[in-house]
Amino acid sequence: MKVKVNGVEYEDEVEPRTLLVDFLRDNLNLTGTKIGCDTTTCGACTVLVNGRSVKSCTMLAIQANGKEILTIEGLSSDSKLNPIQQAFKDNFALQCGYCTAGMIVQAHFILSHERDLSEEKVRDMIHGNICRCTGYQNIVNAILDASRRMRA
Amino acid sequence: MYPAQIGYYKPQNVGEALEFMEGNDAKILAGGQSLIPMLKLRILKPKYLVDIGELAELSFIKEGEETTIGSTTKHWELASKRISGLEIIQNAASKVGDVQVRNVGTVGGSLSNADPSSDYPAVFTALDATMIIRSRRGLREEKAEDFFKGPFTTSLDPSEILERVKVKALKGYKQVYKKIVRRAGDYALVGLALAIKIDSGMVKDARIAFTGVGDKPYRSREAENEIKDTKLTDSDISKAVEASVKGINPPSDSRGSSNYRKEVMKRLLKNSLEEMRNAS
Ligand SMILES: Cc1cc2nc3c(=O)[nH]c(=O)nc-3n(C[C@H](O)[C@H](O)[C@H](O)COP(=O)(O)OP(=O)(O)OC[C@H]3O[C@@H](n4cnc5c(N)ncnc54)[C@H](O)[C@@H]3O)c2cc1C
Ligand code: FES
Ligand code: FES
Repeated sequence: MKVKVNGVEYEDEVEPRTLLVDFLRDNLNLTGTKIGCDTTTCGACTVLVNGRSVKSCTMLAIQANGKEILTIEGLSSDSKLNPIQQAFKDNFALQCGYCTAGMIVQAHFILSHERDLSEEKVRDMIHGNICRCTGYQNIVNAILDASRRMRA
Repeated sequence: MYPAQIGYYKPQNVGEALEFMEGNDAKILAGGQSLIPMLKLRILKPKYLVDIGELAELSFIKEGEETTIGSTTKHWELASKRISGLEIIQNAASKVGDVQVRNVGTVGGSLSNADPSSDYPAVFTALDATMIIRSRRGLREEKAEDFFKGPFTTSLDPSEILERVKVKALKGYKQVYKKIVRRAGDYALVGLALAIKIDSGMVKDARIAFTGVGDKPYRSREAENEIKDTKLTDSDISKAVEASVKGINPPSDSRGSSNYRKEVMKRLLKNSLEEMRNAS
């Protein structure tokens, strides 16, 4: 199969049963994407496939054949945090950090698709991402903050 | 968790998919949002997957007097499109799972999967939709009400593909899909698909279907009849509400007991009918 991940083309052979998350982590060594629940519940494994967020524990690698993937590693360049990452840091939106990669990729999806973000909308759109540490308030604040920064 | 070893086939069109399925132990893969979890848990172990997820010929929304929706149309596409006279579909689509599931899952996958707590089956039952099914023998049509047979069971046989769904627009109907859940993202404890047509203060037609209350969508014709040709007074509404739980014995499970579900059905229907009356 062929995929473009964070702008880089890869070609590899996979078994059909290989899950996308394992392909990213084990074959491509992109371990930023986490496996939390492994049952489509927690969103820790969220990546973008052709611009739409998906749970990579519930997609076969082969389903992404020929597509473009964005993982948490692709959000920043030159070791500079992207505005969403910076907003998460400034708003104390992470504690253990396990959910954070998926949360930020989902936030990136939300911010690239929604213009008028309200707190309610953010809460609705991240309900596929579970955080066991923060209580969500700071995550919601961070996403709203990032949205202001990106518009400014 | 890995699925067991499996073969993968990606057809170029529906014809190729049907040809491959004949005589092979194969399962259709659409969005995979129900199938992949079952493969991972090894509840299902087909020999092959036939990936129809990218077949452009199955992904469309054609509006008209009758709207047809291709089976691999994704939840998010339906959630972002208002179809005139069928607003209830957008309404339901935006309540399926979470954003990530809606980005991948398909309407045909959900209907074929026939989870007794899923959202579309009740909606398409209330809409009197027609399922259009293709096999190598040709096309056949079936009413939604006959299509759903039981939990995770439809009239589809392993050589058939649900190709599209056909629905007549309910012009001038007030319509809503409501879903009661205990936690965000859950399957429905109880869901209600409701559409009524009110003309000069009189109810001309009513469609009432529930999800989560039995082993398949439950259309309550008795409740519908209680409000047809009435002014939807409080007493008409309470007759319909009582009728809606007659002859149904909802399941008890971790989401709620049978009696609790009945109570939720009643409140849901009562509140929704009152809202529709008061808004007209
Ligand atoms: C976390 C989570 C939450 C969810 N919450 C909800 C919810 O609240 N409400 C809800 O309704 N659903 C919910 N779902 C299920 C979701 O809607 C799925 O997308 C849907 O049930 C299956 O669609 P799919 O395209 O992913 O199908 P797949 O998983 O690919 O297929 C499902 C089944 O249908 C068969 N199939 C698929 N397409 C066809 C076809 N065209 N013809 C014949 N057979 C076919 C497959 O062989 C398989 O047996 C949830 C799923 C997850 C993972
Ligand atoms: S690991 Fe994929 S949703 Fe939890
Ligand atoms: S920061 Fe620990 S799970 Fe979210």
